[in-house]
Amino acid sequence: MLNSFLILFGKLVLFASRTLNFGSGSTWPGHIAMETNANFVRDVLKKNPELKIVLIAGTNGKTTTSLMLMKILEQSGLKVFRNEAGANLLNGIASSIIKKSNLTGRLNFDIAIFEVDENNLGEAIKQLIVHSSQLSVVLLNLFRDQLDRYGEVNTVAAKWEDALKKLKDNTLVFTNGDDPKLSYIAQKSELEAYYFGIDHKSSVISNKLGYDVDFTYCPQCQTKLKYEKVSYSHLGKFVCPKCGFTNPETETFPSLLHPLIGKYNIYNQNAAALVAQKAFDISEKVIRTALVDFKPAFGRQEVIKYKGRDVLILLSKNPAGFNQSIDAVRTLDKKGNILFALNDRIPDGRDVSWIWDVDFEVIAELRGKVFISGDRVYDMALRLKYGGFDLVYTQIHAELKDAIEAAMEETEKGETLFVLPTYSAMLEVRKILTGKKIL
Amino acid sequence: MKKYSLTIGWLYPDLMNTYGDRGNIIVLQKRAEWRGIKVEVKQIFVDSSPYSLVTSDLLFMGGAQDTQQEIVNRDLQGPKGRILIEKVEKGTPGLFICGAYQFLGKYYRTADNKKLPGLGVFPLYTENPGERAERLIGNVLVEPKIKDIIQPLIGFENHGGRSYLEDKSMALGTVVRGFGNNGGDRTEGIVYKNSFGTYLHGPILPKNPQLADLLLTRALEQKYGEPFDSAQGTKFHLEPLDDSLEQKAREAIIKRL
Repeated sequence: MLNSFLILFGKLVLFASRTLNFGSGSTWPGHIAMETNANFVRDVLKKNPELKIVLIAGTNGKTTTSLMLMKILEQSGLKVFRNEAGANLLNGIASSIIKKSNLTGRLNFDIAIFEVDENNLGEAIKQLIVHSSQLSVVLLNLFRDQLDRYGEVNTVAAKWEDALKKLKDNTLVFTNGDDPKLSYIAQKSELEAYYFGIDHKSSVISNKLGYDVDFTYCPQCQTKLKYEKVSYSHLGKFVCPKCGFTNPETETFPSLLHPLIGKYNIYNQNAAALVAQKAFDISEKVIRTALVDFKPAFGRQEVIKYKGRDVLILLSKNPAGFNQSIDAVRTLDKKGNILFALNDRIPDGRDVSWIWDVDFEVIAELRGKVFISGDRVYDMALRLKYGGFDLVYTQIHAELKDAIEAAMEETEKGETLFVLPTYSAMLEVRKILTGKKIL
Repeated sequence: MKKYSLTIGWLYPDLMNTYGDRGNIIVLQKRAEWRGIKVEVKQIFVDSSPYSLVTSDLLFMGGAQDTQQEIVNRDLQGPKGRILIEKVEKGTPGLFICGAYQFLGKYYRTADNKKLPGLGVFPLYTENPGERAERLIGNVLVEPKIKDIIQPLIGFENHGGRSYLEDKSMALGTVVRGFGNNGGDRTEGIVYKNSFGTYLHGPILPKNPQLADLLLTRALEQKYGEPFDSAQGTKFHLEPLDDSLEQKAREAIIKRL
């Protein structure tokens, strides 16, 4: 009864916020529901014993992977819903349930995909543990990110390891077989585990580790791992010279096309494909068809037309992600200019130290002009100054709107403006470009 | 003009670099090179020979997480630890951030009450009051207590351990905003001979170029025999650089504190 009331009330809040144009991403109804009944999610899911659930955790790529998996599942005729991008705390999950259920709490769907914040995996699992239907848990990757908010990656890894112990033994675990720590955690967990990777033969891959790495020592005996291949950050083909710990066998789906640029998106895509294949028995052919015309999630390699120019937004919120964005810009090798926007608000993390672990040096010789903006624009300016940029050619605009307008003026027809923003800056950029408040 | 050169020894870049501390190395290298000083950055790993430490004119070590610190701690029980102690004692300048700063103290008492011995160079000890105690996180402003640094030091701190100096007059500075060594006695960091220990990330040197230049100056004095004289201040003269961007970055953050 209480839950029905919470659903009704939540639906009214959602309706009102949409009508009044507060944007559709409101987590308010879920927040109220969880405050009133801390087990709201668990209670509603209990009433839907047929609903299969996929939980996706990771530092980078949660939203893209969720969206890809949803497309694949829908392509094979399944009814799927997911929580909205970025609304990945329990209140976001609860909100999506309120939105998609009827008043009795019935969810007329086959599958729910929930992306969860790396620090909330344990909480989410607690809510799902009594659920009787199939549960799949995807651990995409783990990189240091907003250390002032999330804490150190070892702490997060320990939490994940703990969370896996609480899962029922029919749970399927999917993780990155190129990540030493995560593949180790999955192998130790005794759950049925599957590993995705990327085809190391086909892509340009170095064997040198950068400065954005977190797990390069053997998780078993703490000896420095030898990397034969590095795809990015600490992901690659490794072996421990002391105890022999190495990658598990990985699935790489060489037949799939790649609608998005960057090695990180191949990992995301292969994660989605592996879940579709192993948990839902979907053929590679269907997966291939489903992703041919894949459109990225907002702010993740999203192209927005503005004043007749293409603006390509590449969300860049931590060292590993930022380096991948820079790599993507270099790979595309398109004519255009670049805008870095660095904020230090709560969703970005208050500490901006991490920009010094990003290799700006590799694009110091970029042909286009560089524009910088955001709350911490001068920290970014210093990073570029010491990264070998000639700041005479760099425009500094504290206001994002000014930066975008100035950059547009310098961007010719047919050229692209690449925007690499932190999370809150990305939302702001989209608002300026689309005129809409949130999504 | 005499050609100067410096070797910067960067201790454990693959283990002690969680908080962007690599920026300090980049800044030291660039600010030296912009003045025509040749710089070699020598990365010192667990499997590097201890000799690499012997030939360094300036030492740097950053902060890290517990697991990584355990690996480093084991390595420093060996010859590298002894050489590091000797170098600091003999006046080789060094910058030791957060975890490294704690290492050079007498001991570190962990959250689960394990007492890990440090190198015992810095007269201080560190205690972690337990998992329940809040980490000390946020922007910091410190009034420096050393002669060659006039402007306040700014940075970002993020640490669970609380450090206590045996002699508070050895502090690098007094906390104006933030927590500092322990959140209680308003001290931040330590100055010991030519070495500096501090909790300031940010990283510290890009926005505190005076400290970067002080480290370079001391390293040049040590190497080229014009020793620092506490009565007269620093003798070695570095060409001034245009630090207007650094100033703007400083002002932007100071305004918000």
